[in-house]
Amino acid sequence: MDNFLLGLSEFFERLPDRVLGARNFVLTGVVVISILMIWGIFTRTEMDLSTDAYLDETDPAIAALDEYRRQFGSDDSVLLVYRALDGDVFSRESLTAVQRLTDDLRNWQDLDPADYPAVIANVPVDFNELNHIRRVQSIANVRFQRNEGDTLLSLRLAPAELPESDEELARIKARALAQEDLVGMMYSANAEYGMIMIQTDFGMQPVEDYVPAVDAPDVTLDASFDFSADGFLELDFDEEAEITEVDFEPVDVFSYSAFHVATTAIWEQYEDRLEYYPVGAPPTMAFMLQTVNQLYVLGILMVLIFVMLLWILFRSFSAVLWPILTIALSVAWTWGVTVWLGITVSTFISLTVLLIFAVGIADCVHVMNAYFSYRREGEEHYRAISRSFGRTGLALLVTTLTTSAGVLALTTSELLPMQVFGFMSAAGVVLAFFFTVILLPILLDIWHPGFPGHEKLSIPDRLARVWNGFRRNRKIALIAIYAVLLYAGLGFGVGSYILFISFLTYAVVNWHQQILQAVPYIVARRPWQIVAVFAGIFGICVYGATRVEIDTNISELVKEDHPLRQAYEVVDENMAGSQSMVIVIDTRVDEGMLDPRVLQAVDDLETRILESQGEHLTRTYSLVNVVKDTNEVMNDGDPDFYRVPETRQMVSQLLYLFNSANPEDRRALVSDDYSKAQVTLNIRNSSTNEYQGFFDEIGDEIEASFAHLRDDFPELEINLTGSMALLWRMSDEISRSQVESFAIALSVISVMLIVTLGSLQGGLIAMVPNLIPAFLGFGLMGLAGIPLDADTLLVAPVIIGIAVDDTIHFMTHYRVQLIKTGSISESLRLTISHVGQAVMFTTMVLGLGFMLLSFSDYLGMARMGFFGSLAIVMALACDLFLIPALIMIFKPTFGIKNADKRISFLESPA
Amino acid sequence: MIARKLAILALAATVWPALAQQDPEQTTEAAPLPDGREIMRQVEEYQRATSDSAFNRMQLSTCRFGVSENRITCAERPRVKALESVSKNYGPEGLDSRGVTIVLEPADERGIGLLSYVYDDAERQNESWIYLSALGRVKRIASGNSDEESESASLFGSEFTTEDMDTGKLEQYEINVLEESTEGGREVWVIELIPNEERARETRYGRIVNYIDKERFVALRTDLYDHYGNAIKRMLSSRVELIDGVWMARSATMMNLVTNRLSNMAVLEIYTGIDVEDEVLTQRTLTDAAFRETRLQEIRDQVE
Repeated sequence: MDNFLLGLSEFFERLPDRVLGARNFVLTGVVVISILMIWGIFTRTEMDLSTDAYLDETDPAIAALDEYRRQFGSDDSVLLVYRALDGDVFSRESLTAVQRLTDDLRNWQDLDPADYPAVIANVPVDFNELNHIRRVQSIANVRFQRNEGDTLLSLRLAPAELPESDEELARIKARALAQEDLVGMMYSANAEYGMIMIQTDFGMQPVEDYVPAVDAPDVTLDASFDFSADGFLELDFDEEAEITEVDFEPVDVFSYSAFHVATTAIWEQYEDRLEYYPVGAPPTMAFMLQTVNQLYVLGILMVLIFVMLLWILFRSFSAVLWPILTIALSVAWTWGVTVWLGITVSTFISLTVLLIFAVGIADCVHVMNAYFSYRREGEEHYRAISRSFGRTGLALLVTTLTTSAGVLALTTSELLPMQVFGFMSAAGVVLAFFFTVILLPILLDIWHPGFPGHEKLSIPDRLARVWNGFRRNRKIALIAIYAVLLYAGLGFGVGSYILFISFLTYAVVNWHQQILQAVPYIVARRPWQIVAVFAGIFGICVYGATRVEIDTNISELVKEDHPLRQAYEVVDENMAGSQSMVIVIDTRVDEGMLDPRVLQAVDDLETRILESQGEHLTRTYSLVNVVKDTNEVMNDGDPDFYRVPETRQMVSQLLYLFNSANPEDRRALVSDDYSKAQVTLNIRNSSTNEYQGFFDEIGDEIEASFAHLRDDFPELEINLTGSMALLWRMSDEISRSQVESFAIALSVISVMLIVTLGSLQGGLIAMVPNLIPAFLGFGLMGLAGIPLDADTLLVAPVIIGIAVDDTIHFMTHYRVQLIKTGSISESLRLTISHVGQAVMFTTMVLGLGFMLLSFSDYLGMARMGFFGSLAIVMALACDLFLIPALIMIFKPTFGIKNADKRISFLESPA
Repeated sequence: MIARKLAILALAATVWPALAQQDPEQTTEAAPLPDGREIMRQVEEYQRATSDSAFNRMQLSTCRFGVSENRITCAERPRVKALESVSKNYGPEGLDSRGVTIVLEPADERGIGLLSYVYDDAERQNESWIYLSALGRVKRIASGNSDEESESASLFGSEFTTEDMDTGKLEQYEINVLEESTEGGREVWVIELIPNEERARETRYGRIVNYIDKERFVALRTDLYDHYGNAIKRMLSSRVELIDGVWMARSATMMNLVTNRLSNMAVLEIYTGIDVEDEVLTQRTLTDAAFRETRLQEIRDQVE
């Protein structure tokens, strides 16, 4: 094994010479393949941004949702909840504003886009998007039934012409608040809040190439339609006839966002009277897109920080350019290979890019740092290149294997986008390694970082020289001005962050050698105390991790003062709830829903679930409500008749009446053939954990209510579905599968370390410093009571992969040095000196870069940025202090016989 | 009645030359397409003629449909409603109408009656009354506001909506003759109707494409598109017959291309030129069973 590892190191040492010898071949190959890949990216990329992409197509609830959409239309609505600024949605001013807004939304074609803002939140306002509006309901046009003499009136709650007198207005309000089915839906019980419900056709657009079977050439009506004899027609029927179901186009976040922006442009006009709290898929998805856009900005800033730090730390722009080029090529090839294989990519690609960035930077920094130090020691250029690959190559290989094993664990997920993400990330990590060993030697030969005493000073060198020339007072004054400018320009948060980076960089640039030299001496003095401190930290993290909850709550994905979160809270508090689900009842029998027994069962079900799930469920609404209401109205408002009538004939005729008066409402509740109906459930937003049992319990109640009908309706099918609900359940499933893949990744990495380090003892020693950063984030979140949600868990393996890389570099190098020198002390000293600086630099670059993500509005991302960068910094602390302490205590020899186990760091360095 | 038929013939005589007119200088090239608006006006005129002083026995069949051996056919046993209706045109130019329709079958709905007054004047609201036999009560179906949005209602729970049955309002459409073609072996004009902004708000359809039989002025096929240009419904006509000098499709099949359901409306019997007393077209027909039976019997006697 030892010989194998040394052999590998030698292989990597010889590799640059071979590569340089074939530089034209390599460069031509890279250029040609890259062009092919980039061409593929631009011509063949298929990106699926739809939310449906994450759903498991085999789930019966998905089939039910498709069936539901075919029957009842899209369930994606904007619930535009508003608060009347004068405190009363029934005041003349509020009513007028809502009437106008409702009218604007319904008749948007009449509006002149020139009167509205052209851009909102950086998204252009396109009124054509409003074509998605199918129906707008509000106090302004909602109806109630009333019996007056011989007339069944379907009256508007508020007439279009508001009455002159205030008494009359007060009557409208009193009447409205007496409509049980409308309170909580259209307005709150205290009349402070109201809702405009904008129904859309999202998810209802047939796929572009959908052709109905009847469009095929030569298809004609069956001859029986052309009846021959007067007075009688009997259509033939063929139960074997092929029925083509329409497939619907998936909805992507961009359409939701564009729609949301267009509606916002309209309702903004009434902000002097109304304050808005929009919830529902379009506003939520619009926010998600804004987050993505914000992440782009943060991503660019992050790259800028990478660039600045690399430039300052290595004092040559080549140290910036080559890593960026290596990363860009890795990304291009990964993406290119994926699309050439015909695989559809998802939004996860941004995470893949992030990972490649981190790994690519780490790979290049380790090599360049080695090259830099060899040059400083006086090595000749080519020799320095060879030796730097010899020193780092093995560790690069091991980190590549462990990180890709970590992300490959994601492919155990059942969701296709996750599998693609896993494969792409693994490929990206391998490619980053490939380019580092194949291309970087050539690039370094073309242009390489200088070193102290180099004849031509780089810009950072010259700036440093100028700075060092200043007097102390002047330095302080300049620092003060810099700080003031930062705070004024960037605000407190980001300003402090940049200031912190600046000081840290200054310290590292000036004193990293001293720090690294001092480390072994500090450790040698108190190894046990250091181990105890880290053990304490680890213990706390493990304890915290056991308390961490896996939970996704849509509103809690954003900060407390974020409008989206406020909107959810307001709607949940004042209205019937910001979420909805549907129970789809399919009797599979024509006019099955007219059977009074079926209606009675639905009525029972509604009563049962309102009782048992009252905590979450605020309101149910179905055909039964209509039947009971119409029955009462038709019997002169006698409340005794607010019930399901006994005979089928009566049900049929009451619904016939309702259908004639209000066909649109009827169609929203029951299919045209009366075989299917839906029960709408209004639900308060809550975390997925609270809804753990919800699906099962509702299923039990359904069984209890309908069991006795199974004999008469053998094909009866009842499903709980709804798009938000499904997404909810899926994010919970993602979280759970992520925990599993996290565990798999940790085990795989452990096994690989044990194998690479050639001893169980060494492997375990190396694993301990890996476990601390891995558990740090989870532990702190558990202690702080922050739940782990799907998004946080997605990034976790990426961050952990990065954090453990430095440890692996450290341990691998130590092992090789031990083989070479045979002395623990000498190996440790050399490792800290050789790898310490590179580890310090990568930690700074990546840790500080990821820290930037914590400024995201999106808490899933912000938490990962924050806890992730803490993990990276913790990894550095482990490498510099814990590993040396463990080595000094346990003196692992990795099977090397007669190793010199003396520890020689007891005296302070000179 | 004779006068009516003559009027139609006269109208046809005036329209036809206009339609057939060709630019003499272009005789060698393809004939220019005729005026679509005139054609549609003619089609509607024929439609109206079949509803005046008329007594119908109709059958409405609805089913899920599929395709089998290139034939569009019901994929399940269709649900059938049998109806009888009496209608008469009113107003100075016969543009208003009153009609009563009584459900004979199925049993659950037997005796349900629908009385409707349709006014051409946009200022005047259409009125309808429903009689529910199970409750023994008549109800006026009315909206309390004058600015009622005209939501088209399903006709007796079928795929036909009131909008599909509408005549008039041609001035609210842009009308283009797209081409001359054949449909079901007959020569047709393919005529596209696009609602203007005002109409677009009231209709489910963003575009209507009619295949009008050149000789008989009957829509043999109508494709109905939503506001995005997706075909959502299609109507096919069969059994086109000459009734009292006017061609009419006695079997109309409306297919919903999204839900795969179709409804067929078959005019099993049609009699025009019937004596219909005004009193028959009042609420009394709905509520007074004896009166209804007597008067309907009188009408039945006229045709049998």
